[in-house]
Amino acid sequence: MEKTIIINIGNTIIHIEESAYELLKAYLNEVKQHFVNHADDLEIVTDIENRIAELLTEQLEEQKKQVVASVDVNAVIAQMGRVQDFDTVEENDEEPVSNTNYQFQAEKKLYRDMDERVIAGVCAGIAHYVNTDAKWIRVAALFTLFLGGAGFLIYAILWIIMPKAKSRIERMEMKGEPANLQGFQKNLDEELLAVKQGLAIAGKHTGSIFGQIGIFIGEFFDWLGQFISGTGKIIFKVVAGFIVLFGVVFLLSLIVGFAAFQGFWDSSVYEYFPFSIVDESNRGVILFSAFIVFFVPILALVLFSIRVAFNKQAINKTLSFALLIVWLVGVAMAGYHAAKISSEFKQHAELAQTADLKSYKTYIIDIDRSKYFSKEDSVTYRIDANQRRQIVTEDFENGPFVMPNNIRIDIEKSATLATRLTQKYESQGKTFQSALQNAQNIDYKYVLKDSNLVFNPRFQLRKGTIWRNQEVRLKLEIPVGTKVILKEDTYRYLNNYGTWDCGEIENDKNDYSTWMMTEDGLKCVAQLKEEAIKNKKLKKELIDLEFAQKDRTADSLYQDSISNRINEVKEELGINNN
Amino acid sequence: MIAENTQTQMRKGILEYCVLSIISRGEIYASDIIAELRTAKLLVVEGTLYPLLTRLKNNGLLSYNWVESTSGPPRKYYTLTQVGKDILSQLDQTWQELAYAVGVSQKGANS
Repeated sequence: MEKTIIINIGNTIIHIEESAYELLKAYLNEVKQHFVNHADDLEIVTDIENRIAELLTEQLEEQKKQVVASVDVNAVIAQMGRVQDFDTVEENDEEPVSNTNYQFQAEKKLYRDMDERVIAGVCAGIAHYVNTDAKWIRVAALFTLFLGGAGFLIYAILWIIMPKAKSRIERMEMKGEPANLQGFQKNLDEELLAVKQGLAIAGKHTGSIFGQIGIFIGEFFDWLGQFISGTGKIIFKVVAGFIVLFGVVFLLSLIVGFAAFQGFWDSSVYEYFPFSIVDESNRGVILFSAFIVFFVPILALVLFSIRVAFNKQAINKTLSFALLIVWLVGVAMAGYHAAKISSEFKQHAELAQTADLKSYKTYIIDIDRSKYFSKEDSVTYRIDANQRRQIVTEDFENGPFVMPNNIRIDIEKSATLATRLTQKYESQGKTFQSALQNAQNIDYKYVLKDSNLVFNPRFQLRKGTIWRNQEVRLKLEIPVGTKVILKEDTYRYLNNYGTWDCGEIENDKNDYSTWMMTEDGLKCVAQLKEEAIKNKKLKKELIDLEFAQKDRTADSLYQDSISNRINEVKEELGINNN
Repeated sequence: MIAENTQTQMRKGILEYCVLSIISRGEIYASDIIAELRTAKLLVVEGTLYPLLTRLKNNGLLSYNWVESTSGPPRKYYTLTQVGKDILSQLDQTWQELAYAVGVSQKGANS
């Protein structure tokens, strides 16, 4: 048995045995080399190739064979003549191309030598390339292992990029032997010799330890490679099997989820955040298209995994095409509705409402943590907030299903002497009118009882209003000199004041902090006190320094250091130096 | 070595003359030329003939036609051009002179 190759020579397709092919290739290389300096080399070589094709075809027909063997190629070569025979007859204007010249032209190539390998033949291949004994390269390679193991990586890389010398021609290129007939013959002879020697060695059970180890390691790596490729396939299939299993579970849960959403049509699901932005009339369509968008790709993944795991095509082409169409329709529908919903956030409207509050020297600001219940809910949950003072406290965290509807409080200096609270309602909408309407549908409550100002942490939306990014901003304007006590709960609604720091300066255990409205805005009272004490100290130091300056007027070093310190103190006090 | 060299020189010239003579008898295919040369005991390999034919063609002595073949690729059938014919007649004359010269040289003018 021998491998055959299909070649195209002189526009003729010919089946040829591998060994015969190598012989023919070597001969043609030789011919090409011979005519390379000739003016009409291409035409001559083409003529010769055509003739070879003709001769081979004739031989196949005569012998009623399918495949060209080495014998046939040898017959053709005999008829066409060896290159040496060409020389004697044809006139040469140029210097004849001698055989020694080819040897220099025969380019050496880097291959892995599988015959002399220890692991993968990398070292032996390099040794051929640089024309040394393989053992020196191996010693060098071993040495690199001690240099941080870089050699290991380099070896692996070379293993990957250097091709194996598989055919005889490749082996000859590796050794730098000319790929012509003499080289061919030489190589063949060497190979036969090696086989004979190998047989002799096998018979005597001897051979260098190095060779024995090499054979062992080589076999071990062969085995390892087979093991990896074998188990690799199994792992692949196992992974595919898991994907099928989890995919099916996921698909089932999608179906159940879809049914559940459809079933609780008017129920509380839509009161929770991501669903609450959807208009009631479109819910069915959006739900269905979302279902398709998720369901189809997972189904496709499962079907593909089935194919990998069980080598079975679970679905035919028409059906998969139909699935693709269904998915595209689903994507289009989902996209359309997403665009439609986002268009409802296009316009912005604000609505402000101002109230003057009764003036007090001190305000206490707090947050009402009790959860808001509508009248119906109060009845259902049996909560009587008014008479029995039952409250349900609310946590402030914005969970995944909580509509973002925080309020914000700003405390500013009042231009007049009056205290004033401005509530600003903001909302988005498709048109300005609808945005304004959405803003008007915000229901926000705060309570002013004596000097206690209690804000609700959330606003409510009146029935029938859907979430369109409504916001409530509260602006409290108080006159200069008014004290404000901020309860700890308010801190998260009052940014940019350093509220937590102030609380700590005052007292760690307090659940409030005291503030004062100044000309420069709201200031922490504890901080103001600290600053006052510091200023007092600095002023005292300044007086001392100015007194000391009059001393020792002759000592310039002393004078310099005093005046430097004076400048520093003045700067800290905010006194202009000039 | 000297003998070889002289032989080569002689064969070179004669081969060219013989090839032209064979072609002058009519349109002919390269391998048939080889066959004719074999019959004439002027042993050459086919590889020698192709460069020679190509050179003669490029020098304008020969022209060729493509002819479809039942086995393998189309064949080149060579014929002499007018130039080729003229040169061949010159060569014929040269050959007569050379043959005479060789005859005289070998046997003497008087025999």
